[in-house]
Amino acid sequence: MWQVIKSVLAAFFGVQKERQRRRDFEQGRPGHFILVGLVAAAVLVLLVVLLARLAAS
Amino acid sequence: MASKLPKSPLEHSAGGAGAAAESPGAPPRGLLRWLLTTNHKEIGTLYLVFSLSMFFIGGIFALVVRLELFQPGLQFVEPEFFNQMTTLHGLIMVFAAVMPAFTGLANWMIPLQIGAPDMALPRLNNFSFWLLPVAFTLLLATLLMPGGGPNFGWTFYAPLSTTYAPPSTTFFILGMHLAGISSILGAINIIATILNLRAPGMRMMDMPLFVWTWLITAFLLIAVMPVLAGVITMMLLDINFGTSFFNAAGGGDPVLFQHLFWFFGHPEVYIMILPAFGIVSAIIPTFARKPLFGYASMVYATASIAILSFLVWAHHMFVVGLPLVAELFFMYTTMLIAVPTGVKVFNWITTLFQGSISFETPMLFALAFVVLFTIGGFSGLMLAIAPADFQYHDTYFVVAHFHYVLVPGAIFSIMAAVYYWLPKWTGHYPSERLGRWHFWLSVIGVNLTFFPMHFSGLAGMPRRIPDYALQFADFNLVSSLGAFLFGFSQLLFVVVIVKCVRGGEKAPAKAWEGAQDLEWSVPSPAPLHTFETPPHVTPQPHP
Amino acid sequence: MPRRLAWLSGAGGFALSPQVLANGWNMPVGVTDLSREIHSLHMTIFWICVVIGVVVFGVMFYSLFRYRRSRQPQAANFHEHTTVEVIWTTLPLLILVAMAVPATATLKNMYDTGDAELDVMVTGQQWRWRYDYLGEEVAFTSSLSTPRAQVRGEEARGETYLLDVDNPLVLPVGRKVRFLFTSDDVIHSWWVPELAVKQDTVPGFVNENWVRINEPGIYRGQCAELCGIDHGFMPIVVQAMAPDEFDAWLAERRDEAAQEALGVDRDWGHEELMTRGEEVYAAICASCHQPEGQGAPPTFPALAGNPRLQEDLGWQLDTVINGVSGTAMPAFRNTLNPVELAAVITYTRNAWGNATGDVVQPARVAERLAR
Repeated sequence: MWQVIKSVLAAFFGVQKERQRRRDFEQGRPGHFILVGLVAAAVLVLLVVLLARLAAS
Repeated sequence: MASKLPKSPLEHSAGGAGAAAESPGAPPRGLLRWLLTTNHKEIGTLYLVFSLSMFFIGGIFALVVRLELFQPGLQFVEPEFFNQMTTLHGLIMVFAAVMPAFTGLANWMIPLQIGAPDMALPRLNNFSFWLLPVAFTLLLATLLMPGGGPNFGWTFYAPLSTTYAPPSTTFFILGMHLAGISSILGAINIIATILNLRAPGMRMMDMPLFVWTWLITAFLLIAVMPVLAGVITMMLLDINFGTSFFNAAGGGDPVLFQHLFWFFGHPEVYIMILPAFGIVSAIIPTFARKPLFGYASMVYATASIAILSFLVWAHHMFVVGLPLVAELFFMYTTMLIAVPTGVKVFNWITTLFQGSISFETPMLFALAFVVLFTIGGFSGLMLAIAPADFQYHDTYFVVAHFHYVLVPGAIFSIMAAVYYWLPKWTGHYPSERLGRWHFWLSVIGVNLTFFPMHFSGLAGMPRRIPDYALQFADFNLVSSLGAFLFGFSQLLFVVVIVKCVRGGEKAPAKAWEGAQDLEWSVPSPAPLHTFETPPHVTPQPHP
Repeated sequence: MPRRLAWLSGAGGFALSPQVLANGWNMPVGVTDLSREIHSLHMTIFWICVVIGVVVFGVMFYSLFRYRRSRQPQAANFHEHTTVEVIWTTLPLLILVAMAVPATATLKNMYDTGDAELDVMVTGQQWRWRYDYLGEEVAFTSSLSTPRAQVRGEEARGETYLLDVDNPLVLPVGRKVRFLFTSDDVIHSWWVPELAVKQDTVPGFVNENWVRINEPGIYRGQCAELCGIDHGFMPIVVQAMAPDEFDAWLAERRDEAAQEALGVDRDWGHEELMTRGEEVYAAICASCHQPEGQGAPPTFPALAGNPRLQEDLGWQLDTVINGVSGTAMPAFRNTLNPVELAAVITYTRNAWGNATGDVVQPARVAERLAR
């Protein structure tokens, strides 16, 4: 699970080691990555909302 | 990029052109053949021809606009007709020229690039194409109706497009519905094809980037075209059935329209540029004779842009009266988009570095794409700064910005793709000499047209005005001259294509020596049926 | 910068008139503290883009030149480099954060509309602006005053072509003025570049913005949101004057308004109503119904020779006062005063061959308005 989160975060940043990527593709299940990806997108939105609220106050 | 070419090009193209035409169940001849075809190559050709003709119709509308703006004062058309021209120019170019061109390229190339015999849903494919001529005949017919065609801008903001709209608006809505259905069906087909029909051995991360970008684009289309359908249905109800979605007098909200429109509209912008990224990512490695620098990071960047495209829509609405928190949120997310976009540009440039670069016409268009799209990206970054956008919004600066990303962006990439794949489609190389003329005249024309618009916008010229104050006269004069140069040089494009279809230097299966993908393993011209037995792709280990 | 660019364009062979240079190629610095801040944000982000552009395009054109096929027959074969990728993702992020900080501060400042000394309601109407000095009993509409003959090229165009209005918005220098924006019909956008104020006027909603002008002068702008046929013909003129001059001007306008109110009760003659009506018609009605009343069917019906108009005064009063919902005809009950309404109705019933001979008195209109 931690591996999946790490890989999704790396994907959000856009950079990933080739070795990690190959391992993900060989061992990971796509469903996990999609789920964690959606959660991460939601977290990103919440973070920016929080940041905007903080900046506006 | 990552798949190795199969040993013999002819191995899996059972038959070849002649045999295909004679095979049992041969297609009907003449007009009926085109009407009934379910072949991905023929439907691809239909899309591309349709798109090219609409490109000229939308272009003529643009030239009417530029003619009127050549000088201050009203000389050629009345404001009412001027507004119809700006509106239809935008609608036709977006929905009838750029989008169908990419769908046409997808139809032709995706099955060839993944080793599939055809699209997954061939009859649906035929239907989704033939919806388009119907949709745009309806749309263009509004010009002949009493009260004229749509005159409220391609963004058709309510209530100008509802309470205050001409009677033909209902036809406009119907036309847009049909175009939207066509896009959704096309997207479903593309997703089904990519996910199910890849040649054995081809994993997702072995797909060419054009396939990747189209896969992501197709998901965007499915996500946002229904939103467009919803918003135009609400307009239909407001106009004809007495509802008040967008009518403040009845308790509705005109700003709701803009939120819905741009929730569709911003991903739509990426629908028009992601496939372009895929094309350029195929052409640059071919002519630099060097693999793309960061294949995986290109895929990630495309996905990031797609996700972010759903989070930035209100940056089109910074002056509509949003609360401060919303302004900040959309400013931050919009600025974030610059990061994956920058990654793409850096990747292309690093691919060029230490390559062995030649400058055939497709490469020229792809390189111009990188430079001029980046300029459009810079002005986009400036527009993202919300306080400054209060000055930029709805001026010619915005017009300059989105034309830089759409004309030398999307359209140059389409032209690059046509020059790149014409040898595969026709079996002949396009004329290099005419191609160069077409390229240089287009580049000069595009910049003469759109660069001065940055200045006129900053100096204070609003968009969509048929006449302007005297201080904008010189910029507009240059823009108009550039527009006519650009417009007329597109006739050369037609000449090149027609000549290439009729003859020219014969192209081998692998028409460009640096090309890597699977489409170059079938003969040129590609026979009607290819990959009837799937090729086996040896996955190339990522180094 | 303008001079350098002018030289460049001269070298390019374009004969540019001096007017372009006088009016600039760039965003105006403007005459408020906020407009200066916005201008400096604009210039900062512009120069950041220029620097990035020089570096990126520099590397690109160097590669194109250095690694052209004739010089480099064999391509290197490298790809993917984690450190490089981390750098080119992180660096832009840092630049963006550096840009976001001042942009956020300026935006917060723009949204701070509190402590205003004067409130002005700006109402967009197809195709003119209405200004209400809230609590001051002064209100007027402001429409394009550039003659149509100049648009048609029948007359030489003046220096402020398309940027002249009959009644400019007058504002005091040095006082914080809050604007409240709304619209009577479609969305418009009120924009004066020198004041760095652009705000949409949305029917049914009220938006806010504010300005504190530093220098007296005349500042011109235009409607920035497509609002129909005459979107290009609804300019804005702001006249900023010293506070004491402004107070005197405001008092004078208040007296005029009071005078006009008295005029409702007296009997007006045919000629004076026709003269006044012609002015009102030209400023308000002519953009749709056309200068000769010929209209532009089917959207804008003709008034000249219109049988219903000539036969049915009650219907015409109702149409002008309340508008026709679902069409482009707005309600003028709040836009025009009884004298103006009476004058323009009298005018349309007796101009361009319409010969009803009717004289509609302001009192009659006032009575109708009171219903």
